[in-house]
Amino acid sequence: MIWLTWRQFRVQVITGAALLVLVLAAVLISWGEVSGLASSSGYAGCAGTACAAAAETFLDALQETASRLVYVGTIAALFLVPALVGVFWGAPTVARELESGTYRMIFSQSVSRGRWLLAKLGLGAAAVVAGVGLLSLLLTRWAHLIDQAAGNRITPLIFPGRGLVPVGYAAAGFVIGVTLGLVLRRTVVAMAVTLMVVAGLQVAAPLVVRPWLAQPISTAAALNVDDLDGIGMNVETGEMHLRVQSSINGAWVLQNTVLGADGKSFVGPADLTKCGPRAGFETCQEWLKSQNLQVRMTYVPGAKFWTVQWREFGLLVALTTLLSLLALWWIRRKLV
Amino acid sequence: MTSALRTEQLTKRYGRRTALDRCTLDVPAGHVVGLVGPNGAGKSTLLQLACGLLDPTAGRIETLGERPASGSPRVGFVAQDTPVYGGLTVAEHLRLGAHLNPSWDATLAERRIAQVGLDPAQRAGKLSGGQRAQLALTVAAAKRPELLLLDEPVAALDPLARRTFLQGLMELTAESGMSVIMSSHLVADLERVCDHMIVLVGSRVQIAGDVDEMLAGHHRLVGPRRPVGEGSGWDVIEESHTDVQSTLVVRSTAPIDDPSWQVNRLDLEDIVLAYMAGAAGGAGRERVLEGQR
Repeated sequence: MIWLTWRQFRVQVITGAALLVLVLAAVLISWGEVSGLASSSGYAGCAGTACAAAAETFLDALQETASRLVYVGTIAALFLVPALVGVFWGAPTVARELESGTYRMIFSQSVSRGRWLLAKLGLGAAAVVAGVGLLSLLLTRWAHLIDQAAGNRITPLIFPGRGLVPVGYAAAGFVIGVTLGLVLRRTVVAMAVTLMVVAGLQVAAPLVVRPWLAQPISTAAALNVDDLDGIGMNVETGEMHLRVQSSINGAWVLQNTVLGADGKSFVGPADLTKCGPRAGFETCQEWLKSQNLQVRMTYVPGAKFWTVQWREFGLLVALTTLLSLLALWWIRRKLV
Repeated sequence: MTSALRTEQLTKRYGRRTALDRCTLDVPAGHVVGLVGPNGAGKSTLLQLACGLLDPTAGRIETLGERPASGSPRVGFVAQDTPVYGGLTVAEHLRLGAHLNPSWDATLAERRIAQVGLDPAQRAGKLSGGQRAQLALTVAAAKRPELLLLDEPVAALDPLARRTFLQGLMELTAESGMSVIMSSHLVADLERVCDHMIVLVGSRVQIAGDVDEMLAGHHRLVGPRRPVGEGSGWDVIEESHTDVQSTLVVRSTAPIDDPSWQVNRLDLEDIVLAYMAGAAGGAGRERVLEGQR
C-alpha cells in the first residue's frame, strides 16, 4: 500500500519538494544578509532604550534588500500553501480514483477501503507536515530578529506564517481536499470547493477564531490628546473621527476606539468655533481635552504569541483528525 | 459444498429506481456461470453487491458463505470497462497486485502477461481495449481468488480479442478450479465458456440453472392456432400467434407428447431471448389474450 501510494503521489511530492528547496535556498542565502544588517544597525544585542531606534534603522536598512523579497515572498507562500496542498495534493487523491473507476479495481484487491484511505491520508499528511514544518521552522528562526524589531509577529499578516500553525493549516488543507474529493467524487469540483473552503478558513481564522482563542484584553483609559494619530472631520456637520496610535508594542490590536463621555463611540459633533478650518489646531486640542474622551483598546499582547499558536494548532489538529475520521467512516459506509 | 453465490430476496435501490428486485439465487461453486440480460437489467449491480462494492437495500447476499466485503482475498472482481491506472505500466500493475495481495501468484501473472503478448514496460493508458481487459483479468486472477466476478469484460472488445480473452479465461479456470461469474448482454459470448446460466431481466431473475438442463428442459412448440390453456404441465415463456399458427417457447421437464405440437429443440440464445421477450411483453401479452376471447 505504501508503495502504491508513493507511486501515485510521487509527481506531486517531487514538485512540492522542488518548490520547497527553492524557497529554503532563498531563505538560507539571505540569512547572512539579515544577520549582517542586524549587527551593523546595532539591533542585534542592543539593550534598553537604544533598541527602539536600532530596530527602526534595521528595518529601514532591510527595505532595499533582496531579503525583503524573501520576507514578503515567504509570507505570501505560507498563505498559499494550505490551499495549494488541498487543491493539488488532497482533492485529486480520491476523486481521481472515483472518477476514473479505478477504485473498483483497487477495492477488489485484498486491502480494505479503510486501510487504503488511511495509507493515502497518513503518507500525504506526513509529507505535508515534514515539508511545511521544515519551512516554518527555518523561517521562524530566520525572521526572528525582523519580527522582534517590527513587533508584529502576532498580527494576522505574520502569525499564520510562523511557528506551528502553518503545519496545522497545511495538514488541514490536505485533509479538507481528500474529504471533499471523496464526498463530491469529481476532481475539478473538489478542487474548486477545496480552494473556497480553505480560503474561507483562512479568512475566518483572524476574524472569528483567533480572537476567541486569544482572549484579548480590553482596557479603557482617558484619551491623551497628544496620542492622536489623526482627526477626520466633516466641516459642514462637525462630525468627527479620531484615530489613536496604539501605545502597546508588539500587540495585535483588534479594536481601538475613542469613546465619548456617554460611553458610545465618539463621532462629534465638534464645536466648529473651536475645531475646524477657522480655528487653530491648538484650540481644537483644548476643546477635545474638555470632552472627557476615553480610549477603549482591545488587544492581544505579543507575549501571548506561543499560547495562541498552540491553541490554534490544537484546533487545526482536531479539525484534521475529525475530517480524517469522517473520511474513513464515509469510505466504509457511504461510498457507492 | 458451499455456494459460490447465494442471495435471498436481494434488493438494491438507487434512490427511487430499483436496480435489483427480490432476487433469490443459489449458484454452486466450481462452475463458470454466465449472467445474462439486457442492458440495465441489474447485472452490474448484482456483481458489485457480490464483491462488496455496494451494500444491499434489503435481503441477504453471501459469497463463498460469507457476507461480501471489499478487500476480501477470496473474491476477485474485474469491473465494467476494465479500469486500470493509465499512468502505471503493465509491470507496475503486477507490482501493485503483489503488494496488495498476500496470496499473489507472481509466476502466473508473469506467464499470462507474456502469453497475451503485453509489454511490461508499456503504460496501461496506451493499451488497446483488449489488452487492458487482459491486464485487468491477469491482476484479478493472479490474486488467486476462489471466486472471480467479471462484469462485461468483453463488451468493448472486437471479435478476435473476445475470443482470445475467453480462451484465456477458460485456461485459467481449467487450471485453478476457481468459480467464475461473468456477465454479458450477449449469449454468444457466454455460451462457449459457461456451464451455468442466470438470466436477469428487468431487475428480476427469470431463470437460473445448469446449461445442459436448461437446453433439455426448453422446447419450441409449433402447431395450429389455439389459446394457451392452463395446466398443460409446462410453463409458457413466450408465445406468438399468426392467423393459423401458434408458436410457444415452454419449459417442461417432462417430454412433450401432445402430437398436435411439433416440438423443436432450442439453443441457449433462443431460450435467453424468449425469457427477455417474455419478461418485456408480460403485461402486453395478457391484453392480447383478452382481446381474442
